[in-house]
Amino acid sequence: MKRKENYIVLKYFIVILVSITFFFPMLWVVISAFKGESELFLNPPKILPVHITFENFISGLKFGNFTKYFINSTYVTIISTIITVIISTMAGYGFAKFKFPGRDILFMGIMATLMISLEIIMIPMFLTLKRYGLINTFIGIIIPPAATPTGIFLLRQHMFSIPDEVLEAAKIDGANEYQMFTWLIVPLSLPAISTLAIFSFVWRWNDYLWPFLVINDDNKRTVPLALANFVGQYAVRWGDLLAMTTLSIIPTLIIFLIFQKYFIKGISITGLTG
Amino acid sequence: MKKRRIPIAPYIFIAPAILIFLFFIFVPAIDGFLQSIFTRGIIVRQDIPSLRSKFVGFLNYQKLILDPRFLIAFGKTILFTLIAVPSILIVSLSLALILQEKIFGIGVARAMVYWPAMISPIIIGIAWRWILGYETGILNYFLTLFRLDKLPWLIDSYLAFISVIVVSTWAQIGFFMVIFIGGLNAIPETYYEAAKIDGASNWRQFLSITLPLLKPTTLLVFVLSTINSFKVYQFVVVLTSGGPGRSTTFLVQNIYEEAFTKPMSVGYASAQSVVFFFVMLLLSLIQFKLAKEESL
Repeated sequence: MKRKENYIVLKYFIVILVSITFFFPMLWVVISAFKGESELFLNPPKILPVHITFENFISGLKFGNFTKYFINSTYVTIISTIITVIISTMAGYGFAKFKFPGRDILFMGIMATLMISLEIIMIPMFLTLKRYGLINTFIGIIIPPAATPTGIFLLRQHMFSIPDEVLEAAKIDGANEYQMFTWLIVPLSLPAISTLAIFSFVWRWNDYLWPFLVINDDNKRTVPLALANFVGQYAVRWGDLLAMTTLSIIPTLIIFLIFQKYFIKGISITGLTG
Repeated sequence: MKKRRIPIAPYIFIAPAILIFLFFIFVPAIDGFLQSIFTRGIIVRQDIPSLRSKFVGFLNYQKLILDPRFLIAFGKTILFTLIAVPSILIVSLSLALILQEKIFGIGVARAMVYWPAMISPIIIGIAWRWILGYETGILNYFLTLFRLDKLPWLIDSYLAFISVIVVSTWAQIGFFMVIFIGGLNAIPETYYEAAKIDGASNWRQFLSITLPLLKPTTLLVFVLSTINSFKVYQFVVVLTSGGPGRSTTFLVQNIYEEAFTKPMSVGYASAQSVVFFFVMLLLSLIQFKLAKEESL
């Protein structure tokens, strides 16, 4: 009996130790963001701030132009998530519920693009966007990554689970393919659509490589791009930087706290990576 | 009635996706191959001699084999992968084993470990740059608490390389841990019950039940983390900017710098991308083959 109790205590000890170790780095950023300049570089440091201050947040938003970047990021994230969801739902329906010449080849082709990540085609992608006149435009960060093989796969798999009889019945009632899409497929696919929307939101909000390639106008920077630029400056203004970093993790943190189960489930089903 | 007639509706539904893939993946991918057999800069103007693009055949590829910058970056990427992948496998499996226990509060613990996987690579770089700073970094403070010397984490080239590996592992662990937990949950409980009746120790159960049955999951994690490791770039930009010197400059950064900071090097950078592409293709084919063998 005694031994078993000890075992449980040990288990809890290990679990707590592990989770705190992994959680600490981000926590440290958040704690530090509330410290004034003198406390930030205190040697030896104090773990908790002696005087909690919001001056870093104010100066980052005011002088660092971050209000602008947050607006840009919000705009890009929301619009591209909507577009991703529409495109993937349509394509998922096309691939799951129709038989047509070229279907399997096209689907395989789309899945094969999983191998070609942006890192590989960065250079020709830049030249292509330049040719289309999309450099320094929001369209350039929104449209190209909007069609994701992962999203199409997710929606297609889900739609396989919608019985054909439902569609047959609607057809007999006189509905055409487009009405069935709007009134049957979309409502019945809402679980998969929300999973994709959540993932897409996080991908786009965190994305660095696309904006990095497309945007060089300061007024069009997104938050990750602006943060990276902030670090690149000669003397890093740590106070502002940490405060803006803290602000920028709030949206994904909220999404994560609300939809935690979706993430854990989404990953174990499809290995969603991005 | 409707026999043999090719339907239009499905094509309309897949059109937006197909068009984007065509214009933003297919076209650039083909373009990448084409550019790799030319010498050219970012801007090409045939009327200005210094901005002309010139067909050079496989010269760019010949140049690759002898270019120390490329070879070192490539070698570093391989070394990074060789260390990072086993670290990720071992740590994420261990964490999965620890955090699969169904005890009170385990969801919170899992969320705390998983959360870094939801954070932008840029922020990961910033967080660790703050932690690993020499004078005021918290890690060095912890070292002094144990009466150890401060370490120049991001200043010394060996330590910087190690730091990049640690940060990369930390950032991906949550994701792979979740995959492992999924794999562990799929193992039927009855196997363990039978083993217990036979008097098998925990370690014995792990070796003869858990590990063999976890093979498909392990392979998946192995291939995905290898692919990720080869692409290492984004958080490094913020953490070390590839330094000190070029000690943490990897393949992707090298390609980028080649194309955008050197004159007339877009063709050459494209050739590097093509090599990179074939490495990724090879890895993906291995993954595909493994997946197929598993399903047989």
